[in-house]
Amino acid sequence: MSWVTDRFRPGTAVRTFPHDPPHHTRLPRYARGKRGVVVEPEGPAELADVSAQGRGDAPVEQIYAVRFEARDLWGEGDHHVVLDLWESYLAEVPDDER
Amino acid sequence: MSGDHSDGAVARRVRRLETLLEEKGLLTGGELDETIDAFLSGASPASGARVVARAWTDPAYKARLLADGTAAVRELGFMEGAYQRLRVVENTETTHNVIVCTLCSCYPLRLLGPSPSWYKSEAYRSRVVREPRAVLAEFGLRLPDDTDITVWDSSAETRYMVLPRRPEGTETLTEEELAGLVTRYALIGTAAVQAVTTPAPSRSVPRPGRAAPPASPSPAPARSTD
Amino acid sequence: MARINDVGGTEGFGAIDTTDDAEPFHADWEARVVGLYNALRAQGIFNTNEFRDAIESMPPVEYLSASYYERWFTAICALLERKGVLEPGELGD
Repeated sequence: MSWVTDRFRPGTAVRTFPHDPPHHTRLPRYARGKRGVVVEPEGPAELADVSAQGRGDAPVEQIYAVRFEARDLWGEGDHHVVLDLWESYLAEVPDDER
Repeated sequence: MSGDHSDGAVARRVRRLETLLEEKGLLTGGELDETIDAFLSGASPASGARVVARAWTDPAYKARLLADGTAAVRELGFMEGAYQRLRVVENTETTHNVIVCTLCSCYPLRLLGPSPSWYKSEAYRSRVVREPRAVLAEFGLRLPDDTDITVWDSSAETRYMVLPRRPEGTETLTEEELAGLVTRYALIGTAAVQAVTTPAPSRSVPRPGRAAPPASPSPAPARSTD
Repeated sequence: MARINDVGGTEGFGAIDTTDDAEPFHADWEARVVGLYNALRAQGIFNTNEFRDAIESMPPVEYLSASYYERWFTAICALLERKGVLEPGELGD
């Protein structure tokens, strides 16, 4: 297996990318551009977005369980949603934006 | 489900594709039957129920199950050879977990077998991430207002299973009797486990010849998209 | 563009039919489709992500009017054409 990324520790505040890509992806639209917190790494896998194009050069990335508050996703609600997201779907939220 | 007419049409197209692939040397006779048998054998809600009953009666096993679900179910002979990770999430007095796959139909079928139709429906997939309390109420599960609900949307390579709460009044039951109380709804998180089993409403469906339920409890490496 | 499969939070799909249909398949052809999927994937003709992509690429009206395993069959046929295993139109209607 090629080099695996592993940037985010549990508890890291992250924001999902807002992209609306013109191909298969596993970042649902309801969770794009949203703030969440990393729960834990889940282990690496080929990036589905690239693998779905039948390419042999899909990068292997860490996948993280990321926990979202319902009000950050929907503007209301008191539940949580956890998604399993590839590292390139995520960026760390700078300290001054927390 | 489509009507009988279009069902017959798609059945003929499937048969024609099988014949074409056999002619091209991509399928051999009997190969499909083998993969279907592998898909159906071993994995069933009874497997998940056994895992839960063990966790309820063996605190050390429960700790291992919550720490590393894949390894813990393999101790019992389940999910051998699976490449996916299993994460077991525990319901408590104050927290409730429910599983979904909003993008397709990911489900721990290597452990639980094929999922219920409603799990794959747009109605369930669209709503449970948005209004889980209302959805659970539709299943007859009414949670206290202060219960913290977490919805696990299986969007990558981890499959989730709920460890439901052990019902009160079951202290004298054996592990096997406890397993008999656990439904697949409880393993998904759309039901609580009741101390006395009540038969779920069942739809009468034709049983296809090659789709018989597994006769053997031994897990086999089933390949699927789960 | 978000695809039709990406339904989390979409309004209007209505009440959930919570019936417990314990039988995995409602017709024999559904089991055959699963068998085809498993056999072709095992041969490396396509991978799981390509298969999901093919399902999601169905026109929305077709996706919503197709049953679960009709989607699978549509995706398998589309991938077999894309990979050159089937000629366009070879399967017929």
